Amino acid sequence: MSAPSTDLTQEKQRFELLSQEFENSQKDYSKFIAARQQLEAQLQENKIVQDEFALLKSDAKIYKLTGPVLLPQDKAEATLNVDKRLEFIRGEIKRAETQIADCQKSLESKREELLTLRMKIQGV
Amino acid sequence: MPASPQQRTTVDLKALSLQQLAEIKQQLDQEIEHLSESFQKLRQAQAKFEECIVTVKKTSDSANEGKDILVPLTSSLYIPGKTTEIDTFMVDVGTGYYVEKDSKSTILFFTNKVNTLKKNLIDLETVVQGKSQNLRAVEEILQEKMQANQANAPQ
Repeated sequence: MSAPSTDLTQEKQRFELLSQEFENSQKDYSKFIAARQQLEAQLQENKIVQDEFALLKSDAKIYKLTGPVLLPQDKAEATLNVDKRLEFIRGEIKRAETQIADCQKSLESKREELLTLRMKIQGV
Repeated sequence: MPASPQQRTTVDLKALSLQQLAEIKQQLDQEIEHLSESFQKLRQAQAKFEECIVTVKKTSDSANEGKDILVPLTSSLYIPGKTTEIDTFMVDVGTGYYVEKDSKSTILFFTNKVNTLKKNLIDLETVVQGKSQNLRAVEEILQEKMQANQANAPQ
């Protein structure tokens, strides 16, 4: 009689622990999604700048805002800068995507585990 | 692409439970709200760019050359100045880059922006319409199910 009831409390404890983990993973997940969205916004903005630079003549006067001052920069340098930034952002997006996929997988497995555990607890 | 998933959901809807339907409805509500917000923001951006075009046109008027102006150094301190190079503008193209342009290319720049936004607004509108349609379908079936539940309850 006492054996199954301790078993049950153990299961319940495990359930609680697991749902805590599940919640944490959910928080991480929304954090990753927000990061991904921010990267997308940066990607789009840089793309717009790249397109604009492509339309400019090579002697166009370009300035870069650094703190409170505008520093002149020639077109080749500015274009290179934006290209590099785009490359970096694309890399970051790839990293964020794998993070999101991993997190999704762990959420899925945790949810399944939680469901089976709950059925076990309710079934007893 | 939008047609096939829509059809699939319509087929699926009747097989779903009340709770699942309510969840879908909530999700659609959220999506529509988010999209309408974006729509509003795009409209505001468009208005801002249109205002820029008007301002550039006004300032680059040759009658403005050499006119007296007051330049704000702080919000409460102004110094007198004169306008020169009326046809040159500094345009913020994004991510901290500024490009010097004459009035003609400045106006072209902003016109292009406005046109892109217009296109985006039209795209967004179709998306919102599609979502609203989905929402209506879900709501209809939700109501049907609730009525059926109520009819069954007294027996």
